[in-house]
Amino acid sequence: MKRRLMYLTAMLLAFSAVGLTGCQQKDPEPGDIAGYDEGESYLSIWVHSIEDTEEGQAYKESVETFNEAYDGKYFADIEFVPRNDSGGGYSDKVNASVMAGGLPDVLTVDGPNISAYAANGIIQPLADLTEEEENEYLPSIIEQGTVNDELYALGVMESSVGLYYNKDILEEAGIEVPDADHPWTWSEFTDILEELKPLMDEKDGYPLDMTFPVGETSIYYFAPFVWSDGGELVSDDGLTVDGYFNSEQTADAMNYFRSIVENEYMSEAPIDHLFESGRAAFKFDGAWEVNTVYTSYPDINLGVAPYVVSDNWDGGTYTPTGSWAFAASSETEDIEGATELVKWMSGAESGIRIWEMAKSFPSTYEAFENIDVFQTDENYAALYDQLSTYGHPRPKTPVYPQVSTSFQEVLESVALGGKDTQAELDKAVDRIDQKLERYTRE
Amino acid sequence: MKRKNSIMGMAFFGPALVLLTLFLFLPMLLTFGFSFTDYFALNPELTHFVGLENYINIFKDELFVQSFLNTVKFVIIIVPLQCGGALLLALAINKCAHCKKYFKVAFFVPVVMSLAVVSTLWMQIYSPEGILNTLLANVGIDTQPFIHSADQALPSIAIMSVWQGVGYQMIIFLGGLQNINPALYEAAEMDHASGWQKFKDITLPELKPLCIFVFITVTIGAFRMLVQPMVMTGGGPDHSTYTIVYDIYETGTVNWEMGLASTMAIVFTIFVVILTIIQNTLTKDKEGRKHVHKKAKTN
Repeated sequence: MKRRLMYLTAMLLAFSAVGLTGCQQKDPEPGDIAGYDEGESYLSIWVHSIEDTEEGQAYKESVETFNEAYDGKYFADIEFVPRNDSGGGYSDKVNASVMAGGLPDVLTVDGPNISAYAANGIIQPLADLTEEEENEYLPSIIEQGTVNDELYALGVMESSVGLYYNKDILEEAGIEVPDADHPWTWSEFTDILEELKPLMDEKDGYPLDMTFPVGETSIYYFAPFVWSDGGELVSDDGLTVDGYFNSEQTADAMNYFRSIVENEYMSEAPIDHLFESGRAAFKFDGAWEVNTVYTSYPDINLGVAPYVVSDNWDGGTYTPTGSWAFAASSETEDIEGATELVKWMSGAESGIRIWEMAKSFPSTYEAFENIDVFQTDENYAALYDQLSTYGHPRPKTPVYPQVSTSFQEVLESVALGGKDTQAELDKAVDRIDQKLERYTRE
Repeated sequence: MKRKNSIMGMAFFGPALVLLTLFLFLPMLLTFGFSFTDYFALNPELTHFVGLENYINIFKDELFVQSFLNTVKFVIIIVPLQCGGALLLALAINKCAHCKKYFKVAFFVPVVMSLAVVSTLWMQIYSPEGILNTLLANVGIDTQPFIHSADQALPSIAIMSVWQGVGYQMIIFLGGLQNINPALYEAAEMDHASGWQKFKDITLPELKPLCIFVFITVTIGAFRMLVQPMVMTGGGPDHSTYTIVYDIYETGTVNWEMGLASTMAIVFTIFVVILTIIQNTLTKDKEGRKHVHKKAKTN
């Protein structure tokens, strides 16, 4: 009897052990998967989207074309890892694999996280690209993927934020929009908002449709105000924030937002579809807004104005950029193959596909040149122009999540809460410094 | 026979034990272990033993203290409203002669819906041009910011949570009410007891064990508040709806500080356990006394 009990326990343990090892990295033999043949080297790739979405399908097609193009040499096997809005599900899986092993050869990384992944040895530098290959990409993509002068990641998508305006309202008010190289300065923009205020009151609206939402949006949309003022949020090596995050320039930008709220140029509590319903003259939003307005709000006469700059702007790069990118994991033994896959997944052909299927901006010049709307539609052309000329990546630091959260928190408490700017910024610096300790104590 | 029984028992119990060990006891032990280290999710190899440093640091952390206080505020608002509300609804439905089933289902539906869906729905209700503000405008009250102001966000979310959860406790109370022996009420009526007397001396004492159960589960549930603020406010404005569980999540998954997050989780667990023990002893004591009281009466 006792023996039977032991047998039972042993069986249960064995089952659970099988269950556990089931999570380990796949190491299939040729023939196990359709299309994986003898002599090919196997490359696994994780993407952060759901297979059934347009984005997922675009990645799938890119992998399929890769396997055709490199038939006999490489075989790429794609796995879809769904994520929630903030990237939760996907990063959980990456985190778990960092501990337990089982990272794929290539994985997607959100642009601002590249530094942290590189600093902690989760991804490794790509094999050398020729200068020609590098020049195919927009400068913002190369800069986003570079940490300490080494290229770690290449994205297939780029992104941009536009300052959209309602042409009819601006015409009614008699306001001229400047060209891309002479954007409105903060004080000019304030004058315009002031001028529009009575008109928008009449329309039961606000001159500006703007919010400071929790999450990545706030730093993505509004850090450009700091950059155009000549400030940076972190030092070049990404390891110092004191003197950057709490600099005069950051404070200037925060105070500017405060003045917009105080003068009631925007609604303190967000109102849905203010701009889309014709009750706001301006709106900051991602490039997807163009498509949204074209398809769902055809009555709005949409224009893209150059992103507003500080009065101290010196003509440098400052506009929002960045998106998910492909990188080679530190566990891959075939860095050449992984680099080929990264290049393919982010290349012009994949870029055109991601635009056609998911309406995300591509990342290479060639892709942009081969998509008609970027030549024919003035709004898309303006966004592309802004992105390729003035694109500035978000701060590169291993503690980026803390920097992003802090930026939103300070923005909210200063602009909406009316708290003391410098005190809030200093408090944020203390908090970020605590997180930086891990990287600076050696 | 006995031995055979024990093997059968083991066979039924074994799988559950293995799964519980793997997915509950082991993680609990690991969390306890991690809470004394600086375990960083992106770089587990660099983990050091740091002793009680985390425990000291989290109490110096303003944000953790604030999230703790926020959570307590949530509990203080939610527990009485949800327990009382559930009881009132159950009483009303029990009295209701028509459409009993309709009301039962209507009040229970929010419980079945996903919290994320309910939260999104209430974001619309609370929005500056949403239904609630429109209703208020009709009776001459100015537009309220609700979840967009640091003062109103927490109560707004608490009320929405009560609405969402109250149906579940209502069903429990309803079951309890239907289990009360009607003879008790008949006897009371013969003594010309008023409605309030019947409620106070029959309904409440009979529901006592259920009340304790509901009270404790609602309290624990309120302490675990996470999804509503996460979806509706992101913990803002100005951290006014940031809860402990939210802080644990942010620290552990977003900032990758697993060690620190483990410490927070341990402190949180200890706090809830202590509170539950206090609740339990307090309510038990009273029950004991009442029992004695009753006995004395019957004697």
